[in-house]
Parts: sequence; structure tokens; C-alpha cells
Amino acid sequence: MKNGTAFGALAHFLQERFPVDKMNFHSMVEKKEVPVHSMSWGYYTGGLTLFFFIIQVVTGLLLLFYYQPTVSDAYASVEYITKYVTGGALIRNIHSWSSSCMILFAMIHMITAFAMKAFEKPREITWIAGVLLLFITFTFGFTGYLLPWNQIAVNASKVGLQSVEAAGQYLPGQLSQLPRMAIETFQGEASVGQSTLGRFYAMHVVLLPMAIAALLGLHLLSVQLHGMSQGVDEPPRKVEKFFPVFFFKDVSLWSAVFLILFVIASTVPFDSFLPFPLLEPYNAMGSTPPGIKPEWYFYFVYYPLEMLPFWVILLASNIAVVVLLLTPWIFRGTSRRTLRYISLAASAYLVVITLFGQDILHMVKPGF
Amino acid sequence: MIDSVLFIALPYLAIFVCVFGSIYRIRRQPITYSSLSSQFLENQGLLWGSVPWHIGILLILLGHFIAFLMPSLWQGAMSHAVVLAGVESLGLGLAIVCTVGLVVLGVRRITSARIQAVTSGMDLIVLLLLLAQVGLGLATAVMYRSGALWCSATTTPYVWSIVSFHPDMSFVQDMPVIIKGHIVGAWLLILLTPFSRLIHMFAVPFQYLFRPPQQVVWTDPRRQEAAVETLSEEESRRHFLKASVGISSGLLLLGIGVTDKLARFFFGPRLSQKEEAELMQFRLDRLKLTAEQKQLELERQESPYILVGELADLSPDEGKYFIDYAMLPAMAFKGEDGLPLLLSAKCTHLGCTVGNKVDDKGKILCPCHLSYFDIKSGEPNPNSPAKLPLPHIGWVLMDTRGNVLVSRTASGQTKGSADQAALAGARVYIAKSLAEETT
Repeated sequence: MKNGTAFGALAHFLQERFPVDKMNFHSMVEKKEVPVHSMSWGYYTGGLTLFFFIIQVVTGLLLLFYYQPTVSDAYASVEYITKYVTGGALIRNIHSWSSSCMILFAMIHMITAFAMKAFEKPREITWIAGVLLLFITFTFGFTGYLLPWNQIAVNASKVGLQSVEAAGQYLPGQLSQLPRMAIETFQGEASVGQSTLGRFYAMHVVLLPMAIAALLGLHLLSVQLHGMSQGVDEPPRKVEKFFPVFFFKDVSLWSAVFLILFVIASTVPFDSFLPFPLLEPYNAMGSTPPGIKPEWYFYFVYYPLEMLPFWVILLASNIAVVVLLLTPWIFRGTSRRTLRYISLAASAYLVVITLFGQDILHMVKPGF
Repeated sequence: MIDSVLFIALPYLAIFVCVFGSIYRIRRQPITYSSLSSQFLENQGLLWGSVPWHIGILLILLGHFIAFLMPSLWQGAMSHAVVLAGVESLGLGLAIVCTVGLVVLGVRRITSARIQAVTSGMDLIVLLLLLAQVGLGLATAVMYRSGALWCSATTTPYVWSIVSFHPDMSFVQDMPVIIKGHIVGAWLLILLTPFSRLIHMFAVPFQYLFRPPQQVVWTDPRRQEAAVETLSEEESRRHFLKASVGISSGLLLLGIGVTDKLARFFFGPRLSQKEEAELMQFRLDRLKLTAEQKQLELERQESPYILVGELADLSPDEGKYFIDYAMLPAMAFKGEDGLPLLLSAKCTHLGCTVGNKVDDKGKILCPCHLSYFDIKSGEPNPNSPAKLPLPHIGWVLMDTRGNVLVSRTASGQTKGSADQAALAGARVYIAKSLAEETT
């Protein structure tokens, strides 16, 4: 009998999150309304992330036609794309710029959603799907970074993977080998090599896209089912129709953003921020060149990793993941005012560490 | 003789009648100077007929006019194969749209009883003539391709010769009969303009697009509401029209650009022989590197000893990189005792390859996180991110005949000894037996 009630509670929970009677065009599109208030700009961040994802899919498919995932050919094929294929350099450059933009907007989207308390009942599943989407997006960035097989790509991936191994020292007995074994399974061999390239390639172009498509479907379905969250404390005085008013505003914004992206991608090569030797083909026999750093979107964990003891990072990141996943229940009673302060603090941390991490590191540890 | 009638007399007659006839009709019978709309009587068929017909024919006529009025500009644009193909396919598509619209209009005029009541004989003649004209145009486009290009040497100078009063039909006299028919059809339509509903082309209400919206002010509150609604509907229609023109021209440009680039993207580059050779060389070098590495791997699985180098080549200041039995980077120095000193080069912090230059304190540096390691003990500096020492690697010294002179295990136990003379030509090896001992 107890089982029955537990099952009943689960059924009730799901019923509230996925109201079948609302699953029709009328309530999901025609009836949907978007509140207009001072935080309304937050409603555009998710759409922009989606837009950059679409660009990634299209440009990624194009790159697939020429890229070859082997240690001997990967670098040469990327060079072939940028040097010889018509529009190849532009497409690759759009792909790299747009990847950064997608991660940036996914982060902004999460922070604004948090500040607007958009995770409240019945939107818990939307939030959790969103957090998982963010993790997948980071994994996309990490796996894609290795594919050009140049010095920075391989060495940064090595360092990134190896840093997980350090978790072993805090585990007792046989378990201390667990992180190393996990990493070696992930990369397919003792060090980053052909197996790693093959696996990262498979993840980047097949597994992660499938995962992101599934989760994105869930995320968007929930968003359309429950409508936009109110976002502010007072009920909005004005609303606009999702379709066509908000939808067309969204599309206009996308066009403007595409124009900017296109201009940047055709004028500023993404690689131009890296010193030349890091873009040389990877050389397994030589020493690691200086200046190996992850992409900017990993700075928020990279710089603390350089400055603080490993266990602090380990603990903090585990807590952060748990808090993010449990946000709808942890912050259920928190006021929007407080949530906004927390978001501001988090954004301040991210901005400062990303922009000034190098200088802070230099102050803490002279010589870097 | 018949040609001079059709290509010289008919044009002048048509133009004369059209200009003066239209002026006469507009001044004398201003009420009739319209399209005689039948939208009232039948709406659905009109929408699907009139709209495609007018969109199609207006753009096609625009194309004809540009070709006639700005021949040099037109010819310059058409000399690009891509533009020519674009204009040709656009024209063909529009002609099909026109035909569909005309057929719908014709069927409507024949089948609807209400329309029949207001249809005159002239309406039917104009309809048939238009259908024939569009059909001949389509046939010309299909059978005599690149009309946009050849027109600049034939029909354009012909039309110019007519309007500049130096008629010269030799430009078109020898053309195929279909094209001649198309030209004659055009003069006939111009001729019929003042006598038919075609005159409405002079009554296009362009000002509707630009005049400010009219607001009807009612004193009755009920009607007031209705008026506002009508106003907003009119407004939105206007916006819709403007937006669709903007969006469709934008999309057209984008489409041309994207198609052009994408086609070339998939077509792939066509390299010169020199580029091809360079590329091939680069790929071959990369393949050789990979092959070398596989060779190293195989060697490490099979041979009991791997050569690191001549003892004489080792230096106390700069390490020689080699790959150890675990396929990880390592380096060899010459120690203070004149014997080899072999160290793993994989940083114990995060696995970067440690640099091989020894500084004046006898330390080597890992560039990733600035760990300094002492080469004698392998120990890192106390404040380095790396906490564990770089492990030593056991080695074997052999003379040129393969006799083992000296060997040392990873933990530092030395076996055998040799004098300076024997060491002179000795070679340094790593040994499988010593490597297995450590693991």
C-alpha cells in the first residue's frame, strides 16, 4: 500500500510538470504570453543560446565534410579547411566564435533565470534540464578543443584531464586509483593520443549532439508548457503575445546578432589571441611549450586551481554541482531580492576571475 | 513586306494610339479609368489569381525595362555567369507564377456566374492575348536560353531604333518565329491599352503606401471602437507589405550569397600542382612522424634494450629527450660521476613534459605551472605545485660489441664499473628488465 502512495505521489508530481491537457498548439503557442517588465531582457538569453547552438550544428556539419580525426591528418585537414576550401576559414571561424558565444549566453541565461526565480514549481524539471544542458555545453567545448590537434589543444587537454587524477589522493586504499582509471577509460589510453582523438570526436559529433537534442527537447517543451516565468514579484502590468510579437522580436535580435557574429568571424580569426608556437602541429617528442591555458570559459575553475589547494576546488565544485541541481528546492523560500544579490555576486566573481585571473595569479604567485 | 508592317508600322500605331487614346479616355471618361475590380463579386479566386499574376508580371516587366533602358549596365551585370543564371531562373520562375495566376483568373472568369455577368468581349481578348504573350515568353526563355544576354544585341537596339525614330527592323527580322510573335504580342497589348481594362496600369495608387494613415473620428462610441480596429488593421497591412518586401529582398541576397559559397564549399578547392605537392609533402611528414611513433611503440614491446644515445653525446646542462618503456617522455643527462642520469620528463603535477635546460642551481623547469625539479634527486622545490619527485629510470651502459659495462636500477643500485677508456665509446640503453622491476 505504501508503494502505491509513493507511486501516486510520483504520478502526481509528473502530472503537474507535464500537464497533458496543455499539450496542444493553442495553449503552447497561441495562448502563451510574455510579461513585460524591467527584467524582460532575460527572456531573450535562452533564445540566443539556442540560436548559437543552431549555428554550431550547421557550421559543424559543414566542417565534418573535410575534417579527419587521426593524429597524423587532423592538423593537416584543419589547415586544408582554412587555407584552401572556399569559405572554409570563415565557417571554422564562425564555429569557434559561436562556440564561445553559446557558452557565454548559456551562463548568462542560467544566472538570469536564477535571479528571476524561474525554477519555482512547476519549473523544476526545466531548471535541471537546463543545468545538464550547460554541463553538456562545457563538454562540447572541451572535446571540440582537442580536434585541431595543435600544441595548445593536446597539451591543454592533457592538463585538464590530468587535474582530475589528483582527486585520487583523497580516496582511501584501492579507490585512490579510481580517478586515474576513469581518466584512462575516458581518454582510451595512458596518455592523450589517437584513441583520445577518436573518442573525443565521437562524443563531439554524435553522442553530445544526441544528448543535447534530447534534453533541449525536454527543456523547450517545459518552457512552452508552463509559459514564461513571471520573473518579478509584482504581477506584470503589461504582457505581449509570444506569437507573433515576442517571436518576431526574438528573430530580429537573432538577425542582428548574426550580422555581428558574421562581421567578427570574417575579420578577427579566433586563433589570433594565441601566440604562434601554440598553434603548431602537436609534437609528441618535444617539451610542452609555455603558456598552456584552457579556453576562457574554464578560467573560473582554472585560476583557483592554480592558486588554492586541490581539495578546496574539489569540494567547492562538488558543492556547486549539487547546489545547482537542487536549486529549485534549496532556494524555494528565498526572495527574488536575495536571489538577485546572489546572482550579482556570482557574476562579479565570474567576470573578475575571467578578465583579471592572470593578474590575480601574478600577485598571489609571482613568476607566473 | 509583312515584316515592315509588323515591326515598324504596328509599333508606331500602337504607341500613338496608346498615348493619345489613354489621354483621351482619362480626360473624357475618368470613371472608367480603373481595373473595373470584381473583388466584390468573387474574392477567393481573385486572391490566388490576381496576386501571383501581378507580382510575376510587374517584376518581369521591370526586368524588360531595365534591359531596354540601361543596356550597358545590364550587359555588364549579365556577363557574370552567376548573375545571368540567377536572372534567368528568376525570370522563368516568375513566368510560371504569372501563368498560374492567369489560368486561375481565366477559370474564374469562365466559371463564376457573377463574374460572367460583368465580363466583356474585350476582357476575354485581353486575357487570351496575355496568356499567349506569357506562353511565348516562356517558350523563348526555354528554347532560346540566355535571352538576358542576347537581347542586348537584338531586341534592345530594335526598341531603341523605334523610340529614336530611326526604325531598323534588321535587328529582329531574322529571329525565330516564337520571338517575333512575342514582340508582335507586346505591340498588340500596347495598342489595346486604351480600349480595355489594361488602362488601369496608369492608375496605380502608389500614394497609398506613403500617405499618413487616415483616422476616421466618430462621435458614436460604438463606431469609434470599430474605426480604431480598422485603422490598426490597415496599419498592420501596410507594415506587413513593407516588411515582406524588405525580408524577401534580404533573403534573396542571402540566398544567392549562401548558395554561391556553399556550392563552392562542397565542390572543393582545385589546387595548383605546386600547392598539391606542398600539401602532400606536409601530410607525408605527419604520416612519417606517426609511423616513427608506432615504430617506437613496437620496439618497446619487443626489444630488451632501447638505445638512448652515446654516452659522449650526453651533457650535464641539457637533457636529451627519449621515450621510455611506458611510451612516456624521459630525458638523459650526464651525471657528476660521468655516468648517465635518466629521469622521467612527465611532470608529477599535471603531466606536462618538463623542459630540458638545467639552470645554475641544477634544476629543470616544467613550463605549465612552474615546478622546479632537482635533476640529481628528482625532488621538486618545496613551494612547487608538483609534490612528488620525477622518478629516476634505470639504465645499462654497453660497449660497441654489446657487452654490459655498468648498469643502474631506478632505485640507484649500480652494478659493475668501467674505466674512462672503456666509457669513451659506450652507449646508454634502457632495459626492459629494469623497467619491469620498477612497475
